[in-house]
Amino acid sequence: MEVRDDGGGKVIGLIEKATKSSAQEVDPRLLKAIKSTLRYSDSEVRVAAKTLMELMKHKHSQVRLLTLLIIDELFMRSKLFRTLIVEKFDNLLSLSVGFRTSLPLPAPPAVATVLRTKAIEFLEKWNLSFGLHYKEIRLGFDHLKNTLKLKFPDLQANAARRQRERLEREMKTKEILRSKFESLRDGFGVLKGEIEETVKEIKEGLEIVQWRGDDGVPLAILDEEDYEEIRCSHLRQIRMDSLKQSDKVEETSENRVVFDVLREQGKLLMKKHLVSVQEGISLLIKVDVSDNRTRDSMLKELIDIRNDILATEKKCEEAGFVISRIIDTPEKEEDEDEDIWEDDDGKVGTDPVKNVAPLARVQNGEGSSLQSPSAANRSTLESTSNKAPSTKMVRRSGDPLRDKLISEAPIMNWGSQLSSWDSTTEVRANHRGLELESHWGRVDQDAVIPADKIAELNLQASVYREERTEIPPCHAPLKKGALCQRRDLRACPFHGPIVPRDDEGNPIIIEESQNKTSSTTEINQEDVSMDETTSDSDPNQLARKIAKQALKNIREQDKEELRKRAKRAKHAKVKEHNFSVLRDAAMASTSKSAVIDEEFDRVFAERKNKKQTFSLGRRKKTTAKDRISERLLSNRAKGTKPKQMPQGNDDEKYRETSANQW
Amino acid sequence: MWQAIQSRETGRTRPNSFSNQLKSRRISSLQLSNRKDFVSPHRGSVNSLQVDLTEGRYLLSGASDGSAAVFDTQRATDSEASGLIAKHKCVFSVDKGHEHGHKFAVSSAVWYPIDTGLFVTGSFDHLIKVWDTNTAQAVVDFKMPGKVYRTAMSSLAMSHTLIAAGTEDVQVRLCDIASGAFSHTLSGHRDGVMSVEWSTSSEWVLYTGGCDGAIRFWDIRRAGCFRVLDQSVTQLGVRPPILKHTAVNNKVSAEKSSSGGKNRLKTPQSKHTGSQNMKGSSSVKASVEKSRQKRLHPGMLSTLDRATAHYGAVTGLKATNDGMYLLSAGSDSRIKLWDTQSGCNTLLNFETGRLQTNKAIQLATSDDPALVFVPCMKTVNAFGMWSGRTTLMFRGHYESVNTCCFNSTDQELYTSGADRQILVWSPGGSMEDDMVQDEEVAEDKDNWSD
Repeated sequence: MEVRDDGGGKVIGLIEKATKSSAQEVDPRLLKAIKSTLRYSDSEVRVAAKTLMELMKHKHSQVRLLTLLIIDELFMRSKLFRTLIVEKFDNLLSLSVGFRTSLPLPAPPAVATVLRTKAIEFLEKWNLSFGLHYKEIRLGFDHLKNTLKLKFPDLQANAARRQRERLEREMKTKEILRSKFESLRDGFGVLKGEIEETVKEIKEGLEIVQWRGDDGVPLAILDEEDYEEIRCSHLRQIRMDSLKQSDKVEETSENRVVFDVLREQGKLLMKKHLVSVQEGISLLIKVDVSDNRTRDSMLKELIDIRNDILATEKKCEEAGFVISRIIDTPEKEEDEDEDIWEDDDGKVGTDPVKNVAPLARVQNGEGSSLQSPSAANRSTLESTSNKAPSTKMVRRSGDPLRDKLISEAPIMNWGSQLSSWDSTTEVRANHRGLELESHWGRVDQDAVIPADKIAELNLQASVYREERTEIPPCHAPLKKGALCQRRDLRACPFHGPIVPRDDEGNPIIIEESQNKTSSTTEINQEDVSMDETTSDSDPNQLARKIAKQALKNIREQDKEELRKRAKRAKHAKVKEHNFSVLRDAAMASTSKSAVIDEEFDRVFAERKNKKQTFSLGRRKKTTAKDRISERLLSNRAKGTKPKQMPQGNDDEKYRETSANQW
Repeated sequence: MWQAIQSRETGRTRPNSFSNQLKSRRISSLQLSNRKDFVSPHRGSVNSLQVDLTEGRYLLSGASDGSAAVFDTQRATDSEASGLIAKHKCVFSVDKGHEHGHKFAVSSAVWYPIDTGLFVTGSFDHLIKVWDTNTAQAVVDFKMPGKVYRTAMSSLAMSHTLIAAGTEDVQVRLCDIASGAFSHTLSGHRDGVMSVEWSTSSEWVLYTGGCDGAIRFWDIRRAGCFRVLDQSVTQLGVRPPILKHTAVNNKVSAEKSSSGGKNRLKTPQSKHTGSQNMKGSSSVKASVEKSRQKRLHPGMLSTLDRATAHYGAVTGLKATNDGMYLLSAGSDSRIKLWDTQSGCNTLLNFETGRLQTNKAIQLATSDDPALVFVPCMKTVNAFGMWSGRTTLMFRGHYESVNTCCFNSTDQELYTSGADRQILVWSPGGSMEDDMVQDEEVAEDKDNWSD
């Protein structure tokens, strides 16, 4: 360092000027001037350190703040300045942080807070960069942090934490990518095969269609003759458009099947394959695997496939059909489909195009291109309407296996779960495309919901729907002559169990069943009924039935009797018990029991007058009578005990002997 | 430096003076050490520090959280920043968690002077414990009548193992480790005793400073105290030269008598020893001494007995290494230097600021240059012992400093205070420092970006 001592003092003016401002920051020009002054002069540094320390003692937070800012600037730069400042580091800290209660920070309070936070921040910064070389800084930092428990911004730890989190997130992403890559590699052949198949099919279909379309072209050329005739400019315009579309193929009854297949395949291609290919490409670009060669070759192949698909799409477009690339709106697709179906139902008549140009419709069948553009757009509709009844059949019969499967398949409700049917990929939980900072804390960007959880979430709950069955009416004949119209499941409350009846209300089941019911209800008339039944047809069967019934009845009677007997026994027991209890109570009837009684009374009384609670405490006192009875009771207990003891001993003895025997 | 070594080699300087030169140079350059850190295990203010007397290596500290710890000052346990900062963790510590640990603040922790196998702690829980260093177990404990403020063991003692204990109680007790009982109870102070110091010249002499402001000298072979220091009994200058000729003596004594303070004391003496008055002050003094001891002892005159050394409590005592002087710190924020022989205040003015008043402080001295290290609130000041001028100032503590302890073998100063830190002040600009300086890391260099 070039030491050029020019007496000093220049810096004092600069510093004083810089600290006189009322801004939150030091004037950068002044700061620069100070720095450049100090850079080449040690004595100026000394002077500056002294001046700044003096200024720190100024009884105004604003001055202190600016001084502190200058100190920080110089502290980070000059070693000499550091050594000078560090000598009175505790002073500086107490003046800037104001941690000594005897030396609080001066007014104004708002600036004082800023000063304090700045000072703490600086202290941490200084400690980080120079703490190792200056024990004083370490001590000050340690004191404020560990003794006074001041809160530091903890820059380093924060940065470290952030770094760690980022690394973790990256690792996770990488892991996910890698697993995706693995699955892609595993399924690559299949995917490729599928796509190639589809592309091939589409190409073939296109070839077929276009070959047919070739027939149409000459027709269009033929129409050239009519060209002159159409004078109206509007019509000409229309014609020009239609000519442009001449290479587009119209869907006709003949190529309907092909078209359907084409459309389906196209949709498949655009919706599924293109998307998966593009995903694969982006994945391969992002993923970082050791096996670079496979990745590159896969990437190449995928790009080829994508180009292939795009080419096919272009071809399709050239051929006249737009394969909807809008993936997110399957409903629209559905609508289109529905349009087709609706046309079947006979919207035909209201079709304005048809009304306007019936001729075109006629020519349509021959593959003519003489159509207004609107008609061309509508051509698919019209053609379907032409062949209305057959379309459905064609569609149905298109793929027998599919039809079979469809007939078997359960009907599912439409929902988002259909799109992730059978998928085993993980879903990112916090991925919404937008980089939004959450207001509720940090968000784990890489949280994934595992596939099995997704499956669990998408678990289809089917609600059991009861099949509606017609509950037959009771149909018992009413007094008025009409039939009972009550619909009960088993028994009508008025007419008993519901039985099938004829139109007049008579039960259809043969008489005997009725008899049976009567016999069950009337046990006493058993014999009579038996007599009656015997007179009926099929005597053998009847006899058996009656015998059974009789047996049953008898058994039931027996049972009843048994039950009654048991009941009686129980009653007797209960009575006995009650009696004994009562007797005991009578014997031990002391003031305690009296208390209980009284308490009962009291409870009743309380219900009448709730304020009589104090009587409780008074009545709980034991009386002399009580004590005597207690003693008597205990004596009695003593007297009984010896009697019981031998019994127990006998028992034990027996047990012992038996144990020996065993 | 090299020149000095060469001159020592050639014999131009004697080894002793060479080492003294070196030491004094080192001492005068003491500064906060950046390379040595004691990792304080204490969670309270550190009240006591002592380097052991045998090896000068192990530092014993006692703190208000009831813990005491021993540090190795020479071998670091680990280091930080690639060896730049040596961390000294405590070798062991005993705290409240220890089964025999002190319940309250440890106010004093001293080494057994003979070896490092024992150390003594005194605590506010009224106990003095003697610990076996190797097992970290308390081997003896003494139950004191009050909070123990200070304990001391004689560094010279060959014939006794007594712990002098200054407590809340007015009596100073001497605890005998050998018997495990109190051998002496020294009564005389009118208030608790904050500081206790053994003489460095006689193993029988004990100095105690009480909260009543008195400093008493005890000869433990005899009953009662034999001297009470009086701040008004003064002598100008450090020590009256030992004179052989009365003529010179007269001059000196004349000077002395004119200097005021002493006259008051002399007058009562002169009544009894009037005839001897002409013999010269030293002999007079000696005879006065003798007669007073004879006459006053053990009762002493109540007027003498009431003399005070400080206004307020005596918070610290330190005998110089040669045993001739006694330094005392008082709550009147004064340091006084006493001649132990005459018992006179030397009237030396130490430029102290404020001293801690409510707590015992620990002073330290160094021989050459003769410095006194005094904790003055948050700083530690080094005063010239004969000048009283501040020669060094050690700023580093964030709370008031309680103790300082000078390690004369390494010329290092250890200070500790209420901020729980134990700071090391080591000679700056030393050889190893210079060596490190050369390869200094780029982080701590000038960094002018613009």
